[in-house]
Amino acid sequence: MTAPEGYVAVKRYDEIPEGGIVPFEVNGDERILVKLEGKIYALSGICTHEYAELAEGDLEDHVIYCPLHGSGFDLETGRVTALPATQPLPVYDVRIVDGVVYVSREPRQG
Amino acid sequence: MAAYGAAEALRAAGCDGSVTLVSAEPVVPYDRTTLSKAFLQGQKTVEEILFKPAEHYQELGIELRLGQRASAVDFDRRELVLEPGERLPFDTLLIATGAEPVRLRLPGFDLPGVRYLRSLADAQALREDLSRADRVLVVGCGFIGAEVAASARTLGKQVTVVDPLPVPLAGPLGQEVGSILAEVHRRHGVELRLGQRVAELRGHRRAEEAVLESGERIACDLVVVGVGVRPAVALFQDSGLPIEDGILVDEYCATGIPGVYAAGDVANWWHPGIGRRLRVEHFDNAAQQGAAAARAIAGDPQPYAPVPYFWSDQYDLNLQYAGYPGPWDQVVLRGDSAAPSVTAFYLRQGVVEAVVTINRPRELRPGRRLVEARARVDPAVLADPSTDLRALAQSVRQAE
Ligand SMILES: Cc1cc2nc3c(=O)[nH]c(=O)nc-3n(C[C@H](O)[C@H](O)[C@H](O)COP(=O)(O)OP(=O)(O)OC[C@H]3O[C@@H](n4cnc5c(N)ncnc54)[C@H](O)[C@@H]3O)c2cc1C
Ligand code: FES
Repeated sequence: MTAPEGYVAVKRYDEIPEGGIVPFEVNGDERILVKLEGKIYALSGICTHEYAELAEGDLEDHVIYCPLHGSGFDLETGRVTALPATQPLPVYDVRIVDGVVYVSREPRQG
Repeated sequence: MAAYGAAEALRAAGCDGSVTLVSAEPVVPYDRTTLSKAFLQGQKTVEEILFKPAEHYQELGIELRLGQRASAVDFDRRELVLEPGERLPFDTLLIATGAEPVRLRLPGFDLPGVRYLRSLADAQALREDLSRADRVLVVGCGFIGAEVAASARTLGKQVTVVDPLPVPLAGPLGQEVGSILAEVHRRHGVELRLGQRVAELRGHRRAEEAVLESGERIACDLVVVGVGVRPAVALFQDSGLPIEDGILVDEYCATGIPGVYAAGDVANWWHPGIGRRLRVEHFDNAAQQGAAAARAIAGDPQPYAPVPYFWSDQYDLNLQYAGYPGPWDQVVLRGDSAAPSVTAFYLRQGVVEAVVTINRPRELRPGRRLVEARARVDPAVLADPSTDLRALAQSVRQAE
């Protein structure tokens, strides 16, 4: 199975638990996959405030919260929903082909 | 902080009136919480701690009046008087003046080499002094004192901390958690003088030694005082605004004067969820309450009833707190106090009032949910390491 152009294969959809946050790397870049209500989201794995791994964070109402100082980022858009972070979290496009989750190499623009 | 939260929220709420942000500090809003941590340790520059660059305010159509102190307010004419005498007319006023460090009036505390820490300018001066100091004396082991001590140790300074309490931070955090923090500082080589007071400072041109009430003398070349803050209300003292440990506001951030609001460290507000007044001196409250005031101003008032939240970072230790300050009758610890990797629950009559995590961030939000739900949980269940806190919080939430 070859990845769609500009995408990398990450994991089988079935291997990601509902409500789970799964860390992965693309060329040393830390990212996370989140499965919520069956939908997969892909975001940068590092908080934009200081250094914290969002894989250690917490989900609540479609927001991922940073484990260190509680910054919140919208899963869909990466928008900041709670300070202290003020920079949005990069988000990536997701495609599911034949049960495999593929994530775009480049962050979604705007 | 609250002013920044409000400015963003005003525009987000679609308010397109003219907005002016007045600040005595000559800099756009920034993250004050780094001043005792990364900024003090030289790991961050001024640019890196600004919430947004100056252009951002231009884009939002917000006029900045920086480095301009308000000296009086005239509610009859609805004008704010700036220090050089200029009068700024307003329809709506949001007071977000924050708090000011309590100054010690003891002998010698007016000597050079004695620093307080609130503003960026304070932090820059302290950073400069720290670079030349070897022996640092911290007076007061509250959050600011403890963080400054940790930063100074991290920079390799000799550090002594004096506090009249036998256990530091016992007021907000209790004896159990306060003792854990004291041990962390000891282990990092900080000399703690607990249950002791400084009587005076001595020195020729600068502070050179402190004399404790016990008679002990501590040599130092820099003194940092962190003995608490007071709401910054001087400006409003004779204005007719109701003031009592801060500016009194309701759950919509409104004062008794129409069109006048307050938020952040300066605001003493009615919390409808717990039925009492609170004044909180932390970042998250300032950000959220500023935004809540903005929504009220924009015509969409919603009761402001959060579970207060804050964090403190010292060395590589991360502490987070979610809950209602106030009396508790039982503290339940979960985890390892020595590591430390521990969560503390504060219960009153069986109800979880607050939760603190030390190096256990994953338990903060589940704990917070228990607080929010005003849950009654068996202390043995909370302490049991095999209890899945998330599942517990989930079940409490569903039971609501
Ligand atoms: C060193 C330090 C570390 C901290 N660390 C943490 C932390 O780790 N976690 C946490 O949760 N909280 C922390 N806090 C607390 C947090 O920063 C404050 O709660 C927050 O900044 C309060 O926001 P505010 O808008 O109410 O007041 P401020 O941020 O103090 O803003 C008030 C502004 O009003 C200006 N002002 C006052 N009077 C006038 C006047 N008359 N005219 C014009 N301007 C005026 C002031 O100059 C200031 O710029 C820390 C605070 C300090 C000082
Ligand atoms: S590192 Fe994420 S909120 Fe501070």
